Amino acid sequence: MKLNSLAFRLFRTAAVWAVLVLPLAGLGIDWVHKRDVFNSFDARLNQLLTLNIAFSTDRSGAEPGVPRNVGEPLFELAHSGWYWQITPLDRSPGKRLISTSLASEELPLPSRLGLKPDRYNIIWQDTKGPVGEPLRIAETLYNAGDDENPYFYSFIVAGNLEFPETRVAEFRVPLAFALAVAGIGLVFSTFLQVRYGLEPLRAVERRLSAIRSGEAQLLEGRLPAEIEPLQTELNALIKSNQDIIERARTQVGNLAHALKTPLAVIANEIGEDPSPQARKVAEQAALMRDQVGYYLDRARMVAQVDVIGRVTPVGPTAEAIVRALTRLHRDRGIEIDLLCPPGVNFQGEKQDLEEMLGNLADNACKWAGRQVRITASMATSTTDRHPQRLLIAVDDDGPGLTEEQRAQGIKRGRRLDETKPGSGLGHSIVADLCQSYRGQFRLEKSALGGLSARLDLPAA
Amino acid sequence: MRVLVVEDDPDLNRQLVSALVDAGYAVDKAMDGEEGYFLGETEPYDVVVLDIGLPKMDGISVLEQWRRADRNMHVIILTARDRWSDKVAGMDAGADDYVAKPFHMEELLARIRAQVRRATGHAKAEIECGPLRLDTKTARVTLDGQPVKLTSHEYRLIAYLLHHSGRVVSRTELVEHLYEQDFDRDSNTIEVFVGRLRKKIPPHLIKTVRGLGYRLSPEKDEA
Repeated sequence: MKLNSLAFRLFRTAAVWAVLVLPLAGLGIDWVHKRDVFNSFDARLNQLLTLNIAFSTDRSGAEPGVPRNVGEPLFELAHSGWYWQITPLDRSPGKRLISTSLASEELPLPSRLGLKPDRYNIIWQDTKGPVGEPLRIAETLYNAGDDENPYFYSFIVAGNLEFPETRVAEFRVPLAFALAVAGIGLVFSTFLQVRYGLEPLRAVERRLSAIRSGEAQLLEGRLPAEIEPLQTELNALIKSNQDIIERARTQVGNLAHALKTPLAVIANEIGEDPSPQARKVAEQAALMRDQVGYYLDRARMVAQVDVIGRVTPVGPTAEAIVRALTRLHRDRGIEIDLLCPPGVNFQGEKQDLEEMLGNLADNACKWAGRQVRITASMATSTTDRHPQRLLIAVDDDGPGLTEEQRAQGIKRGRRLDETKPGSGLGHSIVADLCQSYRGQFRLEKSALGGLSARLDLPAA
Repeated sequence: MRVLVVEDDPDLNRQLVSALVDAGYAVDKAMDGEEGYFLGETEPYDVVVLDIGLPKMDGISVLEQWRRADRNMHVIILTARDRWSDKVAGMDAGADDYVAKPFHMEELLARIRAQVRRATGHAKAEIECGPLRLDTKTARVTLDGQPVKLTSHEYRLIAYLLHHSGRVVSRTELVEHLYEQDFDRDSNTIEVFVGRLRKKIPPHLIKTVRGLGYRLSPEKDEA
């Protein structure tokens, strides 16, 4: 997963959610649980306090007695953390009564600390017990007399706070585990959602790749509603791109026609007139012809760079070139062999392949003694941007070139022999076109004895 | 030899016609595709110089229609559209050669000579018949190495006979291939020029085959 990707964005959002929100949720759940546990604990103390009052004041006389049933066996176990205590206040008769568990100790009276009772008239206090255990004390003041002769007693029930605190602590472990599992599950489910949700985008990527490699002309197939407009726009862009190229080519062709015919008229009008003025015009006309040719070629090449979705089968294109050349050079009896297995494709414009192959093969025919051989094959490169390579070799059995001439041969307008017809631009046009496809063009010595012109181009 | 020039640019058309007449050809011209197609369809040209970008009907369509109608004259395409895709389209349509604009007139004339030689089965630029020799490059006729002074019409006649030496060439064929479209076909000019030629070269070289036409042949003992 790349850092700069939609998948990573979605994944990161889910991870941040899991890391920040799940702990907050855990704290919330823990708070609610803790409140519930302590509320239950308080309710239990309240219940025991009520029982304590009820069973100690159920006999005759104003003075409370030892309660008969306190409802909690731990009141009988020494220093258990569960205690009750009945203390006469002011001048009330009787003596202080305590549970067996309190032994001879005495619990402090919260009412004497100035603490306020709750709406049930119970005063609550958290403190330490006789042996240092955490205690929660519930106290209520009970009037055993009447309004005219009140006898107030402090009734206390205390419970060991370790009990609810242990329950809260024990709950936190499975809670943390559950939240961790939920977090991991959330991240994993996000990962699956991202994979599933972004699959149509990957399909778009594959289809665009198919267009680039020439297997498809347009972005086809049914896509989700959200990216259907993107599909429509991309197809319109591709079509517009192709239309622009076609229009540019047509305009370039028209420009060629518009400029070259007057140039031909000027050159022919001057003819062989030896006057200095006529020679100057002839020289300038030739210069214009070369410039027009050069910039028309450049315009064509600029129009075709990185055109997408163009694949040209080499076989039929080469056969058409061979057919034309056989007709053009039929008087010289040159044999043109074409070796091109089926399925060899050029990733680029048909016109550009024709231009490269036509110039090389025509040049080979001009120089060949009897034989010209055109071979096309596929190869795989490990270093190039386009790993699939198309290798074309055009060999002839002519006189060939020296190493120095071969180096000069691909320079623009360099004519190594003025006796052969042509502008001298053929090899350099091939070199420029080849370069525009990021390919390579070399001149070597041929096994047939003459020149071997070699092209290394992107294949499809 | 008779040539048709189909070119819509009036200046270039004029230059082509002028250069071809100077080179000894009988030349007709057309300024658009329809006129060019009609002339090529109805007249027996030896070579046609055909522009591709023509008004009314483009050159490729003209050529295709000629070939479909079995018109087999040699056609040289002349165009500013010089990409190989254009060349292949032209050759596939039935062209015999291709010249890209701007061009040197001498190059075009050389291509036309090559097509004429190809049409008559001659491989070399020089054609011989006994002591008579035609250099197609310079449009010069020599007899035993000495130049023969000829008018343009005499040159056309002897050049045609030399290209077709050994074969009987009818008077009608000569008229059709040596003169422009508006030539008066009923005149006896051919006989006049044959008579003049027989005074400049050994008379036995041009034999009259009674009722059929003329034959150029070096043998003396012909009937």
